Amino acid sequence: MKEDEQKTGSEPWSPAWFRAAADFWEIMAKMAQGESPSGKASSSQEGARPPIPEWGQSALEKWPFLSFLMQTAPVSPDSLLQGMETLPEVFLKMARLGWEGYFHLQQQWLEQIDKVGQRVEASKSDIFGQDTLKAWTEIYGQNFRQLLNLPQLGLNRVYQEKLTQATGTYSRFQEAMAEFLQVLYLPVETSLEVMKARLEELGREGNLSDDFKDYYDMWIKILEGHYMTLLKSPGYLDSLGNILIAAANFKVARQELMGDILKSLQIPTYKDLDELGKDLYRLKKKVFARPGKKMEKPND
Amino acid sequence: MEFVKIPLDRILQKMADHAEKMQDRLHKAKDVLLGSLDTEIATTPCEILYEEDRVRLKHYYPQRSNGPTLKTPLLVVYALINRETLLDLQPGRSVVQNLVKEGLDVYMIDWGYATRKDRYLTIDDHVSGYMNNIVDFIRRRHRLPGINLMGVCMGGTFSIMYAALYPQKIKNLITTVTPSNFDTDKGLLHIWTKGIDADRITEAYGNIPGDLMNIAFLLLNPARLMIDKYVGFLENVDNRSFVENFVRMERWIFDSPDIPGETFRQFVKDCYQSNLLLQGKLKLGRRRVDPQKITMPLLNIYGRYDHLVPPEACELLTQRVGSKDVEDVRIDTGHIGIYVSSKSQKELTPKIARWLRERDKAARAGWKKNGPAAPGTGRKVTRQTKPPSAVGQKGTVEGKENTRAGD
Repeated sequence: MKEDEQKTGSEPWSPAWFRAAADFWEIMAKMAQGESPSGKASSSQEGARPPIPEWGQSALEKWPFLSFLMQTAPVSPDSLLQGMETLPEVFLKMARLGWEGYFHLQQQWLEQIDKVGQRVEASKSDIFGQDTLKAWTEIYGQNFRQLLNLPQLGLNRVYQEKLTQATGTYSRFQEAMAEFLQVLYLPVETSLEVMKARLEELGREGNLSDDFKDYYDMWIKILEGHYMTLLKSPGYLDSLGNILIAAANFKVARQELMGDILKSLQIPTYKDLDELGKDLYRLKKKVFARPGKKMEKPND
Repeated sequence: MEFVKIPLDRILQKMADHAEKMQDRLHKAKDVLLGSLDTEIATTPCEILYEEDRVRLKHYYPQRSNGPTLKTPLLVVYALINRETLLDLQPGRSVVQNLVKEGLDVYMIDWGYATRKDRYLTIDDHVSGYMNNIVDFIRRRHRLPGINLMGVCMGGTFSIMYAALYPQKIKNLITTVTPSNFDTDKGLLHIWTKGIDADRITEAYGNIPGDLMNIAFLLLNPARLMIDKYVGFLENVDNRSFVENFVRMERWIFDSPDIPGETFRQFVKDCYQSNLLLQGKLKLGRRRVDPQKITMPLLNIYGRYDHLVPPEACELLTQRVGSKDVEDVRIDTGHIGIYVSSKSQKELTPKIARWLRERDKAARAGWKKNGPAAPGTGRKVTRQTKPPSAVGQKGTVEGKENTRAGD
């Protein structure tokens, strides 16, 4: 236990505090019963059951079950006091377990934050780069997303589930969007690097222009070329597919959640309208499939 | 790293020398932007002759006092993506106006704005439903067995399907920048749609939002469409005519109706992902679309530099139809430029008119004998009504064909 205390950082002052508190209340209880603090009963009370104090009388009157217990159970103040002596030990044990658990969790969080710090340190020069995004996605996925997997319980579990679903799909949509925007930004980065190299070359040849427009035209052509390459690449296609699916999933989850809110306000939802629309569509097709039936409004 | 001496001082000096010019330009720009700009689109006078649900049929008034010179009217079918107002974007560069000037009797379908209740409409509903009803209406009106049909982009794909299902009702077929072969990796749309889950997207969204389509089209060339276009605007912001044209184009580009979900699902799965159309395996309802049933004359026009619908997606059509009278025309332009660039205006509509005229018999005699009711019997519409979801945008294109995918 001592090793655990050292590991988790729980301090040894708590047991002493609990003992002192228990001793204090033991003395108080004894005094209430008419005993001296040293434990000897007063002479008038030897052999006789100590009288129940006034506050005890009113408690017994208010809670009949308590008076029933007092009458039926052969509980003596001594045994009660003995029980009270064990209370500090019980509290001590519970508190120790709680402290140890908390410090253990704290240690885990610190280790994870340390990992994040190391990842951030490694990609310090690339703060908006792919590594940072990947690191954050991994950290979020491993540590926070699992909270969404907690089972939903109780009468409102269906609504909890929809809320969880909407939250989860929203986070995935944000991830996919961040990745997509990052992919779209790549040609800008590379075009600036190419531009730098081009300017160096022109500088060596002594052909640098006085006109800002020439530099702009050069850059936009390079940028366009890089985009043409990117937009056909597998990486871009994957990212595009991911964001479309993520957006669709989030939209569906959000509609499910909003549907419940709208239902409670007695406002028709898209689902209701779609069902109606479908029925109308099928009805129209049946009616106007008959020969000679057209829903036209010619004006001549 | 070698230290490069960019002549920043000379650049700044040059900017300072132009400071007076800049100031003058800013003054003019202020007058232009804060003054009244004529940015109306679809101003060619027309009347609404037919309405069904969200769909309307526009009829453009003939400009000749003795009526159109071609007996057979022309029905133009635009795509479900963006609006048909592209064909009537600005005076002097309006395809419908030029077609009318060429002596054609022009009708055009306005698909309107899809709402939630339209999400279950399939391609069959559009082709065998709305289109068929409209074709029958025009045929009855002109008392003709068949009419001329011209499709634009996805509208052209619909026109191919219609002509294959109802060949007896179509006299001549024209397809412009129309994707018919989807088994190619040349266009970005073809690459992107191969991997998307159309079922999941349709289930989630119902109708595909117009905003989503706008973002997708901007991503086709982000450098030009999101940066360079607006740099060009700022450079010409003191030019009233440029600003007006730019704003018209912006109004059209970002005016995107939602696409009915089931139509989108089938178009992506059966066309883009499975390429069933030219294989003759596409089914609309219970009927199979067989390109071999297209036996009427076919004129297939596409753009050499079209990045949305590349030539590889268009040029196989004439080889797969049953017609013997087929012609491919490739114009040196892009997807949008084919309709709005001044160069194309001189090529496109004269070619269409000439081609139709060659195949039209007894134009004037037929009109006088079998002509429809005089114009003006329907509700007259001279200006395009403002769509509910349109947001005014500033931007214009003056001859620039890089509004979509580096056109």
